[in-house]
Amino acid sequence: MRLAGRLGGAALSLVMVAVLGFFLFRVVPGDPVVSMTRGRPTTAATQEALRAQFGLDRPVHEQFWSYFTGLLRGELGTSFTFRRPVADVILERLGPTLLLVGTSTLIAVGLGLWLGVRAAWRRNSALDRVTTGVSLTLWAVPTFWLGMLLMMVTGDLFPSRGMRDTDTPPDFLSQALDVGHHLVLPSVTLVAVVCAEYALVMRSSLLEELHAPYLTTARAKGLRDDVVRRRHAVPNAVLPAITLVFLRVGLVVSGAITTETVFSWPGLGLLFYDALTGPDYFLLQGLLVVTAGAVVVMNLLADLLHGVLDPRVKVV
Amino acid sequence: MRRFLAHRTGTAGAVVLAVAALVALVAPLLIPAEALDVTRVTAPAWQPPGARQWLGTDHTGRSVALLMAQGAGTSLFVGLTAAVLAVGIGTLVGIVSGHFGGLLSGALLRVTDFFLVLPALVLAIALSTVLPRGLGTIVLAIGLTSWPSTARVVRAQTLTIEARPFVERARALGGGHGHVIGRHVLPSVVPLVLVNATLAVASAIVAESTLAFLGLGDPTRISWGAMLHQAQLHGAVPRAAWWFLLPPGLAIVVVVLAFTLVGRALEAVVTPKR
Amino acid sequence: MSAGLQLNNLTVHYGHKRVVDDVTLAVAPGQTLGLAGESGSGKSTVAMSVLRLLPGTARVDGEVLLDGEDVRTMSWGRLRAVRWASASIVFQGAMHSLNPVRRVGEQIAEPMRLHGTEGSVAALLEQVELPRDKARAYPHELSGGQKQRVMIAMALACRPRLVIADEPTTALDVIVQAQVLAVLTRLVAEQDLGLLMISHDLSVLAATCDELAVMHQGRLVERGRARQVVADPRHPHTAALTAAFPVIGDPAHRWAEPAVPAEPLLRVRDLTVDYGRTRAVDGVDLEVGRGEIVALVGQSGSGKTTLARAIMGLRRPSSGRVIFDGAEVPRSGRALKAFRRQVQLVLQDPASALNPRHTVFDAVAEGLRVHGLRGDEEALVTAAVERAELRPANLYLEALPHELSGGQQQRVVIAGALVLGPRLLVADEPVASLDASVRGEVVALLLRLRRELGLASLLITHDLGLAWQIADRVAVMHQGKIVEQGSVEQVLLTPSHDYTRALVRAVPALGPGV
Repeated sequence: MRLAGRLGGAALSLVMVAVLGFFLFRVVPGDPVVSMTRGRPTTAATQEALRAQFGLDRPVHEQFWSYFTGLLRGELGTSFTFRRPVADVILERLGPTLLLVGTSTLIAVGLGLWLGVRAAWRRNSALDRVTTGVSLTLWAVPTFWLGMLLMMVTGDLFPSRGMRDTDTPPDFLSQALDVGHHLVLPSVTLVAVVCAEYALVMRSSLLEELHAPYLTTARAKGLRDDVVRRRHAVPNAVLPAITLVFLRVGLVVSGAITTETVFSWPGLGLLFYDALTGPDYFLLQGLLVVTAGAVVVMNLLADLLHGVLDPRVKVV
Repeated sequence: MRRFLAHRTGTAGAVVLAVAALVALVAPLLIPAEALDVTRVTAPAWQPPGARQWLGTDHTGRSVALLMAQGAGTSLFVGLTAAVLAVGIGTLVGIVSGHFGGLLSGALLRVTDFFLVLPALVLAIALSTVLPRGLGTIVLAIGLTSWPSTARVVRAQTLTIEARPFVERARALGGGHGHVIGRHVLPSVVPLVLVNATLAVASAIVAESTLAFLGLGDPTRISWGAMLHQAQLHGAVPRAAWWFLLPPGLAIVVVVLAFTLVGRALEAVVTPKR
Repeated sequence: MSAGLQLNNLTVHYGHKRVVDDVTLAVAPGQTLGLAGESGSGKSTVAMSVLRLLPGTARVDGEVLLDGEDVRTMSWGRLRAVRWASASIVFQGAMHSLNPVRRVGEQIAEPMRLHGTEGSVAALLEQVELPRDKARAYPHELSGGQKQRVMIAMALACRPRLVIADEPTTALDVIVQAQVLAVLTRLVAEQDLGLLMISHDLSVLAATCDELAVMHQGRLVERGRARQVVADPRHPHTAALTAAFPVIGDPAHRWAEPAVPAEPLLRVRDLTVDYGRTRAVDGVDLEVGRGEIVALVGQSGSGKTTLARAIMGLRRPSSGRVIFDGAEVPRSGRALKAFRRQVQLVLQDPASALNPRHTVFDAVAEGLRVHGLRGDEEALVTAAVERAELRPANLYLEALPHELSGGQQQRVVIAGALVLGPRLLVADEPVASLDASVRGEVVALLLRLRRELGLASLLITHDLGLAWQIADRVAVMHQGKIVEQGSVEQVLLTPSHDYTRALVRAVPALGPGV
């Protein structure tokens, strides 16, 4: 019953994503064709042709219907700049982003939660002050600026553009090492920013838990203080923290856009930048729908995971 | 007030903000227009800091120090107005969905949760791409995408207050919606809204700089984010022109951190101790 | 070396605040000692000091001898070995004292593993009369009584010689409370344990302990045989505590004057309220006469609070009628607002029934403002505050709720009701959260208001003693239905329904044989 509710809620959210994606680019004043062709000499006839090509001359409800049924078939329209189906372009760029975001998230979650636990553990200690201070500062740092700084400070130590060099030998090991080498700066940037947030979340979650009366029970039983924390407090505090980590997956997405832009990492983030400088509305729309949809699905997964981990939540 | 001053970090943040606000207000009055006009500056481009240009010059020969002072206004203005817009929407949605039950509340909650998980920056980018470039667009794009967290907090607080017996007592006395909201809910939500607004300014300033960095800012105005956009565009990194890269970024960090610290100190003051 | 617990001149400070002041007492194996006191009397601090569980900010002086060894000076290793093995605690509020995400079986087994005690979780669960498969349950899957039994099983897991029970039944309903107390006392007797039981409820202590000690403001003010202390209290504070737990059937504890049958003011006809699919109130008929005090008694979840809300028009009934002064109460609009001037609500916890930001004046004047009665606000408010026995009123008008005591806060709530000149008070557990010593004063105030103003009351309570004290008639509610109603003497002394009988039987008797 609850499971059905969750699935239904996620499905509704996905539909809302689709609707949002459609109307954001259409109801807003201004003719898409005019702004897409802004700055380029175009005749009225060309504009008319473009309108017809993108179906913009049809009534809105017809446009929406063909857009929506297209989405269900996995079609996202045609990119104006690439002159290819948006879905294909996005699929092509998915790999690098998954690599970057996946690596960074894993490191950030591990490091962030660990730091948060340590900080809350010894509240007001030097470690706590440093962790909290650095986290708050990093939270204030614009991701792209951190990337640019890292690039400038490290100089030639790490490659700062793209994902691989053209002159790398084609065997797997050299290629993997090359990609890994390129991955260092962007992932450090992303980890630094995201991990700060996770550390703060974990810290406050554990501090909250440290007041709980059942910890007194555990101490009264004769358990050592660190066992009380390790066995009772931390597992209970990690649960809400993990949910929050998943909830902030949007943060990673935002971070990926600027990081990829700074380092020319050939993923979805860079594609986003290309799409908005175009501007290429259909590409932008496709990217919006895909990322927002991915976030919705991630949240559903987090919800289900929470239900499995926490006996108090009955999902199934 | 005295309890706020007891938070040293919060007080430091407040002082930083006062200085930043002063600079933002005074700079436009003191800086002559020709000093910032690309066509009329005389200094050479990419000049490192020295006695005459103590923060160096940018790719067109304008003084980085003057650009910094001029940019403060834009960053603070966008941060403040976008935060007011976001917190305003958030408070309204939060109170309405917390106070009135039923279908409306359910629908508002759904919409809030929906926007809460979506990456706000992505939406803001989409909005500012579609709308005509300008300060208003940036404020709108940030304001319209960052209200859900406030709505969430305000809704939770509204529900907490409404569950308190004194609200039931007010209802039993015959008080209607207006009375309950005006006399009980709103006064208890205000401190929380204040904290949220402070934190919202912090994230709005970061969001503004990000949008400007991506080239979505107001092309006619100088802001710290726009300076970094220029730095990236004209290759400040390969030139190792640290004087053009460091100041705007640092300014953003310091001001955002100051807002965050003030917000946290306010939070500690307004939340009752357990 | 003496077995059991011996406290010598125990004194505990938090900063400069002395919360426990020179307490000396002893509990030997096989002895049961009840420690009574109001909230803030320091009784829980005493309990926590036995296993050195107080926070680091507490300064503990005197001796805490457990089996002859001072807990205060033990090494950490020795202390951990002593905890739970020599003495264990049944904590207040099992809901929060059990780890919410671990199975209760694991939690019972944890200290056994730690201290190397033989035995099985199943056997322990059997002792507390729980089925053994409950070991696999999580705390939230158990009822309040079951959780408290788990706490008892856990406390006995390492076969300590002393058990400390800190308000072990406070959140429980009377019938469940009686069952849990029976289990606890049986096990203590069987295993020849020492029991230190802490409670604000003198009747609970008197029913389970041989000896009684009374704490007040950190000091021990009285101790002796339980029956004697209750029957013949020497310290005025003990007397106030005993008065708070009236003995049903004792004419000395019946404060209400005999009432003349009055014509009905409020009539409830076949009222039904549903929460989604559950029927909270099921076809209830009830009457309250002019100037009459009717007690509506029942356990939590019986629907009595929902019924009160429905009468007030705060909760929409599914069917049925509420008739006030001969006219049906409307469900919305201006007429409902007018009705609400006549009927006022007094809630359980005065601290939360007052907006912490509003002064006494604002809180009392709120009703006037809601109804747009601008008149001489100040005079009306002052009169109401004085009626509620806060004299002189001007001492209190500008105070904020947190500056007042619990009893004063409840008087402010009552003044806020009186200011509109109501004819009926609906009082939901009006004294349940008050300390024993002020309880009597508020009860007396309700009676005086009836006498002087002819104010009728519908008194919602789980406390049969309170009903005996002031009500004219009693209605017993169970699972949404009124199962029995009649005069106080009739219902409480010669109950006819099985449920009423169980309820009356479960009220702790004052000491064995009283």
